[in-house]
Amino acid sequence: MAQEFTMELRSQEDWSWLVAIDLFLGGLGGGLFLLFQVFGLPPFIAFLSLGLVVLGGVVLLAELGHPLRAWRAISRPQSSWISRGVIFVSVFIVSGFLYLAPAFDIFSWLPWTPDSRGGKILGAIAGISAFLVTLYPGFVLSSSPSIPFWNNPLLPVLFFSHSVMGASGIVLLLYPLGLVGPGVPGIDSFVAGLIAANFTMVVIYLLTLKRSGLAAKESVALLNRGRLGWTFKIGVLLVGMVLPLLIALWIPSAVVLAGAFLLIGGLLFRYCVLKAGVYVPFALT
Amino acid sequence: MARNEKALAGKNGRGLRWGMAIDLRRCIGCQSCTVACKVENGTPPGIFWMRVLEKEEGTYPTARKLFFPLRCNHCDEPPCVPVCPTGASYKRKEDNLVLINQDKCIGCRACIVACPYQVRFITEDSKGYYGEELTPYEAKSYQKWQPRTVQKCTFCVHRIEKGEEPACIQTCPTKALVFGDLNDPESEISRLIRERHHFQPRAELGTDPSVYYLT
Repeated sequence: MAQEFTMELRSQEDWSWLVAIDLFLGGLGGGLFLLFQVFGLPPFIAFLSLGLVVLGGVVLLAELGHPLRAWRAISRPQSSWISRGVIFVSVFIVSGFLYLAPAFDIFSWLPWTPDSRGGKILGAIAGISAFLVTLYPGFVLSSSPSIPFWNNPLLPVLFFSHSVMGASGIVLLLYPLGLVGPGVPGIDSFVAGLIAANFTMVVIYLLTLKRSGLAAKESVALLNRGRLGWTFKIGVLLVGMVLPLLIALWIPSAVVLAGAFLLIGGLLFRYCVLKAGVYVPFALT
Repeated sequence: MARNEKALAGKNGRGLRWGMAIDLRRCIGCQSCTVACKVENGTPPGIFWMRVLEKEEGTYPTARKLFFPLRCNHCDEPPCVPVCPTGASYKRKEDNLVLINQDKCIGCRACIVACPYQVRFITEDSKGYYGEELTPYEAKSYQKWQPRTVQKCTFCVHRIEKGEEPACIQTCPTKALVFGDLNDPESEISRLIRERHHFQPRAELGTDPSVYYLT
C-alpha cells in the first residue's frame, strides 16, 4: 500500500467490492424477509432471505484479515455498529430459522408453528432483526466523522430503502416462475413508488452534500466524473432506477428485466457510496 | 491564542497524558522522523507510521512549500476506538495512549476508515523490501506486528516505558518535535502550548488530539 505524502483530497480505499457485496446481500436478505412478512409470500422466500444474509456474512469473512477471529466482533455492541450488526444478523438467522423450521418434516416435533403464539413471537423477532439488518450498514458508514459524504443521518434511511427496493427486484425476478405464489397484488405500483422515493432521496442527498464542505463536494463530484461517475449515472441511476421505473409503469410484461436491473443498481449503489467516501483534507491553520 | 484549558489543567490526580507539539516553523521537511520511525518500529514496505506531508502554495516569486508532520494523534476522544467491534483498539487509561491489541484485531478496517487523520494501516503479508526472503533486520523487527491486522504509531510506547523519548523526537535535527505530559503544567510541551499560537488538527470533530501544531 503506497501512502500519499501530499495534502490532497483522498477517498477511502479500504472498503471496496467485497464490502459492497456484503452490504448488498445482507440488505437484500433483510428486505426480502420484510416483504415476505408484509405481503404474505411463500416460506421459500423467507428461506431465500436467510440464505442471502448467510452468504453476505461469508463474503464479509473473506474481507476480514483474520476471519477465524470473527467471533470477537460481538464484543463491543455498546459502541460499534459493526458489533451491533453482527448481533442483528445472528439473531435474524437464528430466529428466522426457528420460525420457519416447522415447515420441515424433520423439525415437525417442534412445539410451535408459524401461526402459534411461539411462532408469532419468533416471527416478530425475525422481522425486527431483519429491519435492523437492512438499517445497520448505513449506521456503520454514517457514524464515521472523517468522511462527510457518509456522516449524514439520511444514509441509514437510504440503505434501508435500497434494501427493500433490491428485495422487490428479487420478487419481480421470481414472479414469472410462479415461485412467489399466486401473485402479489399491486407489486408493480409498490415497486414504482419505491423507486420514485429512492430516486428522490438520492437526489436530495446529493444536492444537500453538494452544498456542504470541500470533501462532501468532492464526493459528489466523484459520482459525476470518471469511471465512478459512469458507474453511478449509468449503473445506479439509469439501470438501477429509471429503467425499472419505466418498466414497472408501462411494460408490466417485462418485470423480470426490471427485477434484474434493480439488483444490478442495488449492488452498484453500495459500491459507489463506498468509493465516493472522501476524507476531509488537512488545513494548516 | 487558542488555549486548551483541559490539557493545561495540571495533573491533580488525572494521570499522564502523553502528547506532542510540532513546531511548523522549525520543520524543514527532511523526513528524518519518517526514517527514524521506520528504523525503530520496523514497519512493512510502503507503510509509514510517521510521515511529513508536503504542499506547495502560491506562485512564483512567492511560492513556498509547507510541511505537515503527520502521525497518530492519540486523541482523547479517538473515533477509531468506538467503531472497533472487538475492543482491539483501545485507549490506555494510565497515559491516554491509543493502542492496538493485535491478537484481538480481526482486520475489518473500520478503524482505518474512521480515523480522520488516515494514520492507521494494514498490511496483507509480511514480505520485506526484497520480497519473501527477509533481511536479518526485517526478520527481527517484523515480529512486532502481525500481517492483516491494523498497525499505527504508538508514540514508541516501548521506549516511553523505558524512560526514553519516541524515536522521531530524538532524531529531529531542528527540534521541531517536543514530547511530554500534557497534564503537567510545568512540562515543556505545556509551556509551548501556553505561549505559542497553535492548533489541533481536525479539532472540530471533537477528537481532542494529543498532537498540537505550533504556528
